[in-house]
Amino acid sequence: MPQDARADTIRRLTLQQRLQHLCLIVAMLMLALTGLALSFSDTWLGTLLIRLEGGIEARGKIHRLAALLLGVVGVWHAWYVVLTEEGHRELMAIKPRLADLGEVVRSAKRSLGIEAFSCEVGKYSPSEKFQYWGVVIGTLVMSATGAVLWFRVLSMAVLPKWAIDLTLVVHGANGLLAFLVLVLWHLYNVHLAPGRFPNATWLTGRSPVTRPPSNSGKKIQDAAARSAD
Amino acid sequence: MDSRLGKSCMGAISPFPEQEGATPVLVEGRCSAWWPRSPTKPGAWHLKVACLLAGAALFLGGESSAAPPLSEQRCMICHGKHGFKKVDESGAVRLLWVDLALLKSSVHRNKTCTDCHHDVVEIPHKERPARVYCRRCHYKDNPAGAPSSDAYLEYERSVHGRALAAGETKAPVCQSCHGNHDILHTRNPKSRVARGQVAATCGRCHLEEYSQYRNSVHGRAVYELGVRDAPDCTGCHGEHSIMAVSDPGSRVGALNVARTCASCHGDEAIMARYGIEADQVETFEESFHGIGVRFGSKRVANCASCHGTHDIRPSDDPGSSVNPANIPRTCGKCHPGANPNYARGKIHINPKIREAGIVYWVATFFKYLTLVTIAALIMHILLDLWRRFKDRGAPA
Repeated sequence: MPQDARADTIRRLTLQQRLQHLCLIVAMLMLALTGLALSFSDTWLGTLLIRLEGGIEARGKIHRLAALLLGVVGVWHAWYVVLTEEGHRELMAIKPRLADLGEVVRSAKRSLGIEAFSCEVGKYSPSEKFQYWGVVIGTLVMSATGAVLWFRVLSMAVLPKWAIDLTLVVHGANGLLAFLVLVLWHLYNVHLAPGRFPNATWLTGRSPVTRPPSNSGKKIQDAAARSAD
Repeated sequence: MDSRLGKSCMGAISPFPEQEGATPVLVEGRCSAWWPRSPTKPGAWHLKVACLLAGAALFLGGESSAAPPLSEQRCMICHGKHGFKKVDESGAVRLLWVDLALLKSSVHRNKTCTDCHHDVVEIPHKERPARVYCRRCHYKDNPAGAPSSDAYLEYERSVHGRALAAGETKAPVCQSCHGNHDILHTRNPKSRVARGQVAATCGRCHLEEYSQYRNSVHGRAVYELGVRDAPDCTGCHGEHSIMAVSDPGSRVGALNVARTCASCHGDEAIMARYGIEADQVETFEESFHGIGVRFGSKRVANCASCHGTHDIRPSDDPGSSVNPANIPRTCGKCHPGANPNYARGKIHINPKIREAGIVYWVATFFKYLTLVTIAALIMHILLDLWRRFKDRGAPA
């Protein structure tokens, strides 16, 4: 890992990754605020959001604009992980592996207090991998169902009615699920958990370095051996 | 003279005798000169004075008011003759025969001619009597025993009342719908405004609408099956308060018509009687169209956009706008490119009920998946907080 003069922090996110992440935040926030406003339009919060968004028709326009932004980020990211060396390395690092399952078990044990410390290798934890692939799959599902709804005149002309109804249900329910996962899992883990806040890595790209306990040398060797298997 | 008087009274046709010298005032939109007795409202001294002045003017100014009221028999000397006619100012022949029996079988059976034609004070009268002014008795808390209602105030704000005020000579007044000497109680099936009759009454002016309605599902229910719950004109448009469809207050305007239809179609008890699904309203309200309407969009479809208005027919009728054969054209009004595929499948679908099939199962799956996810993630947060709390207490 590249380490520079500031020894207490480490570069974790490149400028390009941060820009992609920023675009993703903007797109997802806009999509969630306009989409959930429609899903919950029969509640006071949904009504308020729709009013703030400039009415029911402006809401739709903002939603589609944000969808376009998400599409652009999606294509950008696909190019990044497939056609650039840096991106491809990251893709290989975040690829799910069988070893992740063992880490999940150890992490659970740690959470339950059965195991005090375990050292893991690899840049990304299973939870980070899960969240990344969740975003990838979620974006694909939301884009596909969103396109069916966006081009409704054409979809109604070729798809059976039940498929349109199903699309609407999946788009709404999946969107809500994605929003909840992002807030309760990603936002908590990365930003809001005690000791984490404020976390500026998403802006500066730098993460603080914490030193492992002094007696962990053996465990680091074990972990390296596991990962070499 | 109060300049508002002409507008507030029934405009050009007001029989108000301005030349009598009284200075009438308006009280809650009502002309004080028509009051059968002076107001008893404490503090309204100026009204009392106005009425006293009006009374004095009438007493001093006309020997006519002092004369005893004309009896019915005297009027019938002329008006009781069959074929009693006269050529009026415009040169048209007017039949002036009055069927007293008709009057005596009407709700006004106890009234005499001059109770309504109060401007006739001598016989033979020289002038053509003014149009009868029903408001003279028909207002809220009237002492004449007429039904207590402010319907005429609603009428004033209605499309008909506004047209009259704007000088439209064909605009209907009370008599146009309720009749003249033959007025029956609205609950009398023969009344012109009773169920089964009112559509024909409206249809005297609104021919096309009546014709379409007569053959619609609602018209046939009223006329052929005698269904009491089925709407006639007033069921949707209102009665005295009928507004132009472009008026934001119209019950059948783009933003209100769904609520009007829902007053019956959302009522499970009514719909169950005729085997009609009552969740059409809910499914509409939760659709893109329904949410659009709720937020004031006039571009989205409301009930009438697809089902029609006066010509609503059951979907299995080839003439129905929602008959599968006509769906492409109906949807195509807003969605150019609509094809026969639009007609496949059910439009009003409720994902919350089993009849929705796969849509229901997928919606249910997501519902529980979401609940389990929320529970798991909150558990995860609590567990994490607990571990961090414990670690903090532990030696480094």
